[in-house]
Amino acid sequence: MSSLDEKIEEAKKLSMHIVKESEEEKLMTLSVGPQHPGTGHFRFIIKLDGDYIVNVDLDLGYVHRGEEKMCEYRNYFTNIPHLERPVIHDSANITYSYSLAVEDLIGITVPRRGQFLRALTSELDRINYTLYWLAIYGIFLGHSTMFMWPAADRELVLDLLERLTGHRITHAFNIPGGVRNDMPNNFKEKCLSQINYLEKRLKEYEHIFYNNPLFRQRTEGVGVLSKEDAIKLGVTGSVLRASGVPYDIRKVEPYDIYNEIDFNVQYMKTCDSFARAYIPFLDVRESCHIIRELLDKMPESGDVREKLLSNIKGPPGESFKRVESGRGALSYHLVSDGTSRPYRVKISTGSFRNIIALPFLLVGSKLGDMPAIYWSLNYWPIEADR
Amino acid sequence: MNTASGFIRALESGTRHLFVKRFTLRYPEQKLKFVGDGYQFDPKKGVGIAGLRGRHILFHDKCTGCQLCSIACEGIAEAIAMVKVDEQWKQNKKSIMPQIDYGKCVFCGLCVDACPFYALYMTNDYELSSYTKQHLIYTPSQLAIKPIDNGEVEIKIDSRGASHG
Repeated sequence: MSSLDEKIEEAKKLSMHIVKESEEEKLMTLSVGPQHPGTGHFRFIIKLDGDYIVNVDLDLGYVHRGEEKMCEYRNYFTNIPHLERPVIHDSANITYSYSLAVEDLIGITVPRRGQFLRALTSELDRINYTLYWLAIYGIFLGHSTMFMWPAADRELVLDLLERLTGHRITHAFNIPGGVRNDMPNNFKEKCLSQINYLEKRLKEYEHIFYNNPLFRQRTEGVGVLSKEDAIKLGVTGSVLRASGVPYDIRKVEPYDIYNEIDFNVQYMKTCDSFARAYIPFLDVRESCHIIRELLDKMPESGDVREKLLSNIKGPPGESFKRVESGRGALSYHLVSDGTSRPYRVKISTGSFRNIIALPFLLVGSKLGDMPAIYWSLNYWPIEADR
Repeated sequence: MNTASGFIRALESGTRHLFVKRFTLRYPEQKLKFVGDGYQFDPKKGVGIAGLRGRHILFHDKCTGCQLCSIACEGIAEAIAMVKVDEQWKQNKKSIMPQIDYGKCVFCGLCVDACPFYALYMTNDYELSSYTKQHLIYTPSQLAIKPIDNGEVEIKIDSRGASHG
């Protein structure tokens, strides 16, 4: 090799180094959060090249409360109030699967009317959660009307939940063995009229938000998560269904009385942010339909709760149960060693499994698309951190 | 749907909303009406009676000082402490009754489920704010007072939308 070639090689190396350094300088690091990037405490560190996102680093765990460890120091009943704290708007679903797991462990079945009431609160809470989520999605995209309308119409559902369970949020209504109390008088008529009115309002949401060309332009073709990627990443719930997989645990593994209920699994094949925003909305519609069906098929009277000792002892063994929550599969794995407290409780939530897809979706998109992609993942930070 | 008709539909929907009733509860002037007199529990049937879970009401003539409510609260909020009272009741030999700290209480109502003597219920009273932490601790004599229930507003639905009356 001649000396000239060596010099050229050296120059090349040098120039590469120079280019590399200047590229590093070109990137800007942006920290979104931890003070409420949307709702809850959570941060992601974005590296930007101009307007394009080149790297995303998730920083979770700001609201970790140690729910799983707390379960090991409380008995099967006193676990209920603290377990619903991660998702206060969807607290019926997060205690639903826990109750199912405990019932499976000690081997009891809930009275039929109790099962219907459980499903009813579960569907009401799904609507409640989704409307709240939709309100925040509206304000994320600068659509302040869409913040006001669902926030006001949530009142219809909250009023029903207050009548039925005694609280607007954090109901502590589902417990191992059934539900805490029966329906109050005139609840059926009240529920039907308010749910029918809510369904009418949903049509207006479609006019002002989903069919609005501005909203469509911001979400259509943005953050595409293909069917194969969705299955590989292990996302659940509305995110999975928006990627063209008709998977709903209420249909796949029906729990309680869901095998008697006739409903459709909503899914779309467009795989973009619009589909992920639209599927929860379609779920609300389907929930309204399910509520009417539940009220229709519910037995007129009967027990709602299996009487259990307040200090029940689970036989040694394991149980695993999951339900479809507002954000996807929500499962509990319970291990008992024969004492009155669970030996180990593992909670797996839809939020945590959906947020894993965020770095894959954000890389390559513009910073302006970040809110539309981030909140379409149907994510609740506190539930993900548990 | 093309862009123009989409915009027109959205604007029309927004404009129509100008004539819909306002969905606002004017809180201190208006108060919500609840079902029943608050959450209660029937220990014989083992089932509760639907109602709002506000602050508790304690019936001194029924409380036996058995501490079951205090034990039920262990691991949840630990808001209930058993304190000595001056009154003498036949069923309450030790003269102890629950005192509830509403700075800690989470209003789950599991203490009501635990009471086997129909002595502890919950009421529709939800206005518990105070200037000091000390005032949030309700003594047995404070818990015996029946709250004034003056809520009268309910959600009404008519052709001009839903509103609080």
